[in-house]
Amino acid sequence: MLTLESVTKRFGGLTAVRGVSLEVRRGDLLGIIGPNGAGKTTLFNVIAGYYRPEEGRVVFEGRDVTGLPAHAISRLGLTRTFQIVKPFGNLCVADNVMIGALTRLQRVRDARVEAERVIALCGLGPHAPARARALPVGLRKRLEVARALATRPRLLLLDEVMAGLNPSELAGIIDLVRRVHAEGVTLIVIEHVMAAMMRLAQRIVMLHHGEKIAEGTPAEIAHDRRVIDAYLGDEFNLAEA
Amino acid sequence: MDPARRLGPAQIDVVAQLAVSTVLLGGIYALIAVGLTLIFGIMRVVNFAHGEFLMLGMYLAFFAFTLEGLDPYVVLLISIPIFYGVGWLVYVLIMRGVIHASHNVQIFTTVGLSTALQNVALVLWTGDFRVIRPWHSSVVLRVAGTAFNLSQVVAWAVAVALTIALFAFMKWTHTGRVMRATAQDRDAATLMGIDTDRVYRLTFAIGIACVGAAGVLVSPLYAVYPQAGLQFVTLAYVVVVLGGLGDMAGAMAGSLIVAAVEVAGSYVFGAAWKEVFYFLLFIGVLVFRPAGLFGQRGAETLGA
Amino acid sequence: MTRLAPDRWTAVALFAAAAATPLVTRDTFMLDSVILILLWGSLSAGWNVAGGYAGQVSLGHAAFFGIGAYAAALMSARHLNPWLGLAIGVGLSIGAGGLIGYLSNRLKGPYFALSTIAFAEVLKIVASRWRGFTAGSEGVPVPFRPGFATLGLGHVAWLYLILVLALVCYALQMYLERSRVGYQLAGVREDEDAAEALGIATRRRKVQAVVLSAALTSMGGSLWAQYVGFVDPSHVFSIDLSVRFALNSIIGGIGTALGPFLGSLLITSLETYLRATFSGIQAGFTGIYLIIYGVVLILIVRFAPEGVTGIAARWRTRRDRAHA
Repeated sequence: MLTLESVTKRFGGLTAVRGVSLEVRRGDLLGIIGPNGAGKTTLFNVIAGYYRPEEGRVVFEGRDVTGLPAHAISRLGLTRTFQIVKPFGNLCVADNVMIGALTRLQRVRDARVEAERVIALCGLGPHAPARARALPVGLRKRLEVARALATRPRLLLLDEVMAGLNPSELAGIIDLVRRVHAEGVTLIVIEHVMAAMMRLAQRIVMLHHGEKIAEGTPAEIAHDRRVIDAYLGDEFNLAEA
Repeated sequence: MDPARRLGPAQIDVVAQLAVSTVLLGGIYALIAVGLTLIFGIMRVVNFAHGEFLMLGMYLAFFAFTLEGLDPYVVLLISIPIFYGVGWLVYVLIMRGVIHASHNVQIFTTVGLSTALQNVALVLWTGDFRVIRPWHSSVVLRVAGTAFNLSQVVAWAVAVALTIALFAFMKWTHTGRVMRATAQDRDAATLMGIDTDRVYRLTFAIGIACVGAAGVLVSPLYAVYPQAGLQFVTLAYVVVVLGGLGDMAGAMAGSLIVAAVEVAGSYVFGAAWKEVFYFLLFIGVLVFRPAGLFGQRGAETLGA
Repeated sequence: MTRLAPDRWTAVALFAAAAATPLVTRDTFMLDSVILILLWGSLSAGWNVAGGYAGQVSLGHAAFFGIGAYAAALMSARHLNPWLGLAIGVGLSIGAGGLIGYLSNRLKGPYFALSTIAFAEVLKIVASRWRGFTAGSEGVPVPFRPGFATLGLGHVAWLYLILVLALVCYALQMYLERSRVGYQLAGVREDEDAAEALGIATRRRKVQAVVLSAALTSMGGSLWAQYVGFVDPSHVFSIDLSVRFALNSIIGGIGTALGPFLGSLLITSLETYLRATFSGIQAGFTGIYLIIYGVVLILIVRFAPEGVTGIAARWRTRRDRAHA
C-alpha cells in the first residue's frame, strides 16, 4: 500500500532521514520508535507531503506521490495527525471534524452528519459544541484523530497521539486506535510510550540518527541488541516498557 | 532633497559622489532600522508606529531650534533620555498588554498608535512642512572630488557611533546578553529567572530612543510634517526585511543596500521614481527571500 | 456558528432602515450619511473576506480601492462609460489580487501585512508620477454627467445603488459563513498545516479569497470615485484608508457578516458627526477623528478583539445561562 524507497531528507548540513526504505501492507498497524531526534516526525512529514525528500521515492497505492503537496496526498486517502496538536482553535469541535468530512463530501449537511458519526466513534460526543482551544490536552489528541478520520483515509499516520496523557486517557486512546484499525484503516503510529506500542503494533520499525536500524515484531524488537544500545544513554530506558 | 542631485558643480567625480552619498544615507537609515529590528528580534513585534517616533524627534528638534535657538546637536543629547522615557511609557501603557497576543492584535495596536500619533501632530502643529536651517546645513565640504554638507556628515557620524554603541551594549554588557538570550527563547529565558517584562521594557525604550535620536539627526536635512515618519519607516521596513527581521548586523548591510539602490536609482532615473525601486526590491525580497538576504529560510512561515 | 440568528435580525433591521431613509427624509446630509455608512461597510466587508474569513490580514487594500477609483474616474474624465471603468477596475484588481495573493502566499502575520503595504505604496507612486496617464498628484476630477449610464445620480438613487452593493457584500459573506468553501477557509485561517492534512488546497483557497476581496474593494472604489467626484492618489492609495477598512471590521466583529457594517455605522457616524461639529477648522477636524480612530483601535483589539458582535454574543450567552 505504501512503499518508501531509500528516502533521504536533509536540512542544510544535517541529514534528518537517511536512506529509509519501508513497506506497509493494507491492514497493517506499523509502529515507528526511536529516541528524540531520530527523524520519526521528519519521516511523517516526507510521507504526507510536507517535506520534499532529496532522494528516494514515496509510492502510495502504486502511485508515486513524492513531492505532491500535502493536500493532494490527503485527497488520495493518506493523511496524518500532528505531534503538537493543531486544532482549529476558535471553532467548535463539531466544525473541526466537519471540515475534515468536507474533504470527501460536497454538501455541508452531509458533512455535518458524517462529523456526528466520527465524533461519536471518538467519544467526543458531549464536547461537540465546545471550542477546540478550550479542550484539555487528552481530548485535543482525540480531536486530532477524529478530524483526520473524517477525511476517510485508507492510510493514517498518527504522530504521538499518546504522549503526555494520564493512564485513563491512555487506555481510552489505545482503545480508539484499535477501533480505527478495526474499521479497516491502515495505520502507522509514532510513539514514545513503549508499553503501549508493544501491545498495539503488529510490526515495529526502529529509527536512530535518521536511519532504520531494526524492524520486526514487538517481541523481536524488545530483544534487539541495536535497539537496546540506541536507547541506552538516552533519557529513555526500556524498563519503562 | 536627495543627496545625489543637490550637489552643485558638474565636474565632481560621479562614482565617488554616489558612493559617499550611499554611505552617508546608509548610516542614518541604519540608526532608524536598528531600533525596529531590535524590537522585532526581542519582542517579536513589528512596530508599525516606528516612523511616528522619528517624526516626533524631528518636531522636537524643530521647536527647540525655532523657539529656543537650540542646535539639533544639543537637542540630540536631551532627546535620547526623552525618547527612552517615551518608549518606556508606551511599553507600559500599550505594548505590555499585547506582548503575548496574536500577530493581528499586535499589528493593529501599533497601527492604531501610528494613526493616533500622526494626527495628534496634525492637530497640534498643523500639516505644514517645516524646515530648519542651522548653520551647518549650508556648509559644503569638498574632499577628493566629492561634495557633501556638514549636517549630513555629522548625522552620519553620530548615527554610526550610536549604532556601534548599541552593538557593544548588546554584545558585552550583562543586560545585553540577557536581552539576546530572551530573543533566542522566551520560555527558556523565563525558566532561567530572567524578568522578560523588564527586558521588553528596556528593548522598547532603547528602540524608541534610537529612532527619536535619528529624527533629531535628520531634522536639518528633511522637512518635518505629520506624515514625515512614513517615508522613512517604509524604508526601514525594507532595510530590516532585507537584513532579516531581528538581525542587527543584517540591518546594517540592508541600510547600505537600500541607500545604494536609492542613490543609484535617483541618479539614473530621477528622484521622482526612487521609491519605486526600493519597494520593488522589498517585494522581491519578501517574496523570494522573506527571511532576509542572509537569513535561514523558513522563519517567515513560522509567522516568526 | 449558533450565534448567527440575532446578528441576522440586526442586519435586516440595518438594511431596512437604510432603505426606508428616503421615505422619511430627503435631507441631503442624512442621505449622504447613510450612503457613506453603506459604502464604507461594503468596502470593509470586502476587506473582511480576506482579512476576516481567510485570515489574510492586509494593510494594503487601498491598492484595490485605488485601482477601482482610478479606472472609473479616468473613464469618466475621458467621457467614456464609468461602468466600463468599474469593470476594468475589477478586472485589474482581480489580476493584482491574484498576483499579490500568489506571491505573498508563504508570508504570514506581519510579513503579509508589510508586503501588502509595499504593494499599495508602489501603486501610489505610479499614480502620482505617471502624469501623462493619471494627471499625477493633482488628482482626477470626475465630471458630473446626469444619468444612470454615466453614474451621475441624485442622492436617493445613489443610496439604493450602494444598498445593492452592500447586500451583495453581505450575501457573499453569509455564503462564506455556511458553505463548504467558507468552512475550508476557516480551516486555512485557523491552521494551514492542519488544513493541508485535511485535503484543503490552502494556497489556492487563500488566493481565491484575496481575489474576491480585491474585486469587491475595487467595485466600492469605482462607485466612491463617481459619488465623491474626485480621485487623489495620496488619498485613494493611503495606508489610512487600508486601516479604515480593517478598523470597521475589527470594531464590528472580524470574520462576521454583520461586523463590517456595524463598525461602519459606528465609525462613519462618528466621522460625520465630528465633521458637522468641527467644520470650521478643517485640518483640526480630520485629526481629531483620526486620533479617536487610533485610540479605539488600540482599545478594541486589546479588550474586545471580537468586536461588537462578539461582545453581544458573550452578553447573550451570559444572559441565557443566568436564565437556565
